[in-house]
Amino acid sequence: MKRALALLLALLLVIPMAACQTGNPSAADPTEAPAPTATQEPQEVQNAAEGIIGGKKYLKVYKTSFSSSYSSFNYFSTAYSTVRSIVSNCIDGLVEPDIYGVYVPSIAESWETNEDQTVWTFKIREGVNWVDHEGKDTGLAVTAEDFVDGIRYIGDPQNDAYSLRVVRNLIEGLYDYYWNLDDIDDPEVQTDLVRDEVIASFDETVGVKALDEYTVQYTLTSSAPYFLSLIESSMLLLPVEYDYAMEMGDDFAVDNEHMLYCGAYYISHFERDKAITLTKNPLYWDLEHITVDTVEYQMVPEGTTSLEMFKRGEVDDTSVEAEEYLSMAGTEWEDKLIPSERSLSTNYLWLDFQGENPEFNTFIQNENFRKALQYSLNREAIATLRDPVNPARILRNTINAEDAIFDGNGVDYTDYEPLKAIKETNYSNPELARQYMEAAVAELCEADGTIKGIEACTVDYLPVGTFEVDGKLPVTVIYVGTDDESEIIMAQLMKAMVEEAIGTDLINFEIAAFSGWTYGTVADPLNYDIYFDSLSTGYADPSGLLTRMTTDGAENVGCYEVPEYDALIEKSLNAATFEERLQYFAEAEAYLCNGAYVIPFISSLRGYYMTNSMPFTSPLTLYGNSKYKGTLVMEEPLTYDEYKTLEAAYDIARTEALKEN
Amino acid sequence: MTKYILSRTLRSLLTVVIVFVTVFMLLRLMPLTGYFPQEILKETDEATRMTYLRNQGLLDHPFVQLWRFVKNLFQGDLGRSLTVYPKVPIATLLKEKIPVTAAFGFSSMVLGIILGISLGLLMVRYKDRWGDRLGTFYILVVRAVPSLIYLFFIQVWISKWFNLPLVFYKDRPESWILPTICLSLGSIAYYALWLRRFMVDEENRDYVKFAQVKGLPKKVVLRRHVFKNAMIPLVIYLPSDLLFIISGSLVIESLYAIPGTGGLLTNAIKSQDNNLVQVIVLMYAILSVIGVFLGDLLVAFVDPRIKLTEGE
Repeated sequence: MKRALALLLALLLVIPMAACQTGNPSAADPTEAPAPTATQEPQEVQNAAEGIIGGKKYLKVYKTSFSSSYSSFNYFSTAYSTVRSIVSNCIDGLVEPDIYGVYVPSIAESWETNEDQTVWTFKIREGVNWVDHEGKDTGLAVTAEDFVDGIRYIGDPQNDAYSLRVVRNLIEGLYDYYWNLDDIDDPEVQTDLVRDEVIASFDETVGVKALDEYTVQYTLTSSAPYFLSLIESSMLLLPVEYDYAMEMGDDFAVDNEHMLYCGAYYISHFERDKAITLTKNPLYWDLEHITVDTVEYQMVPEGTTSLEMFKRGEVDDTSVEAEEYLSMAGTEWEDKLIPSERSLSTNYLWLDFQGENPEFNTFIQNENFRKALQYSLNREAIATLRDPVNPARILRNTINAEDAIFDGNGVDYTDYEPLKAIKETNYSNPELARQYMEAAVAELCEADGTIKGIEACTVDYLPVGTFEVDGKLPVTVIYVGTDDESEIIMAQLMKAMVEEAIGTDLINFEIAAFSGWTYGTVADPLNYDIYFDSLSTGYADPSGLLTRMTTDGAENVGCYEVPEYDALIEKSLNAATFEERLQYFAEAEAYLCNGAYVIPFISSLRGYYMTNSMPFTSPLTLYGNSKYKGTLVMEEPLTYDEYKTLEAAYDIARTEALKEN
Repeated sequence: MTKYILSRTLRSLLTVVIVFVTVFMLLRLMPLTGYFPQEILKETDEATRMTYLRNQGLLDHPFVQLWRFVKNLFQGDLGRSLTVYPKVPIATLLKEKIPVTAAFGFSSMVLGIILGISLGLLMVRYKDRWGDRLGTFYILVVRAVPSLIYLFFIQVWISKWFNLPLVFYKDRPESWILPTICLSLGSIAYYALWLRRFMVDEENRDYVKFAQVKGLPKKVVLRRHVFKNAMIPLVIYLPSDLLFIISGSLVIESLYAIPGTGGLLTNAIKSQDNNLVQVIVLMYAILSVIGVFLGDLLVAFVDPRIKLTEGE
């Protein structure tokens, strides 16, 4: 009730505002492999921070909460993004980002790549051992073979690492290895292959090799300047103690006692759906940079409870939704609300190009109609539902996020033309929307308002529902969403905007809130005209999203056909340099956005947070991980003024750091 | 009696089998995409998804799957969770979760019975006066006001006033107080409402009037005759509470972060965790028939007018 009232209040605050763009932070250069920088000394960071905001006392225990269950810690087969936040603190990868997002050594001491960046060789540091859930040394060293074994593990379909598409396509030979084993396992496939022989061929056929005990080499199917970011983002490239994992079988990593650790922390306590404790790994290779001894997680499913616990000092951080923000205005907590920093996830409107609604199906093939929809949304007003104070920071017109992908010169991918123009376009233009719609109507309708070639019928979108259409204007559009109250409010806002901009004489925007909404019941079987979803930039390359949005791509849920886009993607993948690759990708992305085949409109960034931790002291993990290494925990909450002061200093330092790399 | 118990046991077994097989088969009618959460569904291609499903045995004929499940069940293997807690043994899950929920369920049931009966007696004793009105007000609030409102109020404000923890901690006994109270609010209202109603009904019976005419004090009549007879319909439902004790409350367990079974079945169904759904349904079905069965036995025990078989 309180939430609904607050959302209504937020709605009342919605006012049309000129669109503006979020800032474009300086560039990082994750693709230049050599010359790694050392992690900045925590003492250095602490001194710098204290110089800015005054002396603070720092605690050794960090208390935080989680809202949904950690179902398993198997980082190969559990593809849930929530698991990453634990695993990234417990299992170290080859490289890690520093506080500025520059890749620095982790388990790998150094690395090199060949000219076309298809072969990556990592020198592993010696003396790193696996520990158990009590922090005891197992005597097993982390070696190059453990990284090879990670790929060996996921390459076997029987190990259920089913979210391996990107890695399987990238590492040479892995695709064939996986499907050969699958053919053997599938009783319906006739094959002469023998499982043991295929498994024995792994070292010969798959492009990951231990050149010696401490050197691992990946051979890739195509140039991958973004490979370091993939190492950061993908849990599938983490090491594993293979014999141990095989011995555990299905029990591997189902809880803290059935896994081994080589990261900054081990899971010393695990109570399912209740509590997790991370304890500093006494054998960690970089122990001097661990500033927090213990991280205590406890499950708090309700956001309101988490907020109250923060106020009572029971946790060190909490998220604050927009509606809660409004209720905190004018209280002692107002100056402690920090805006959430970044989200690489983008919210889209997906359009159904092959749905059963003949009215919508006729119109959606028409670019003028799509543009009418595109220009009818006041994106800033929608963003106000997420952030009533500064909605502009949430706007996003592009598919890939800004501040996530950079070329060799540190230029942000979204600043490549013609994508930059799209990024800076103000799509809130009701007059233009009406003009586009009138143009579409002129092309598709008779003078009496009958849609050419369309007759009255019943549209079957079951289990969502059935809808009557009369084959005449206004064209009926069926928006299918979940019954989540914030989504319903957003849908109602969209309906008001679209009908006001285009006119109810030309469009009838119907909302179908479906309580059993799932991808499998709505999106996949095309039981919608428009629906709302999100996609996230997974690593520092546009291919992660864009190659899946081609005509036959897995992410083309609306089933559009855009050969021009497909051709640009093909060109991107065959580009000679990374800059050329980004240029083609930018053109492809711009083509899709300009044609309004999908309509990205805001990022998934929402709300605010309050914290006791000093910002900018832990690694800048962009792709879903979170690391406590270097985190400074204060006794008192951070204030907004302190944050802004630190942010200004950090931005300057980051710019400098990125220039040096 | 023996004949009755035997026949009833067989009927109960049949009920459990029908419920189980129906649920098992219905689960196999669900779309295959439902085995994958949305974020994973979008990340994977169909061929890989089919490989995963085949590895889990989900593409086998439903009867093959049924036979495998039953065979494993008789070998003491409940299987592993598919989607909610991937690969975690279901026996482990239940072993972790049931004791927590049962502890809360049992303590709240005891509290509910004690306070509910006390309130019911108070309402009868002071019928149409302040005690009755107060009880009626309480019952109305609990039954008419959306529970989230007063549950939030209790969690945030009562915890603040009495300095109690906001969520449950296993090692802090004081953190048990609020969730137990919250869990018992409904049953207090239930027992009070029905006890009052049954006692008022009994009070109007001839035998009560006769006892009063005989000169027995009202207190004695209430305690010895009215209360005893009014409790009979309530007592027969007590065994059914067995199921409620272990099934938990989705809302309260979520509010107080109790790692119990509340919401487990709902989550399992939503995520199409067939193995987990099957085991829980089987367990709940068995507990339900046992509860009803015990209720029938209990009523014969407490009410001499009722015989379980014609011959007895």
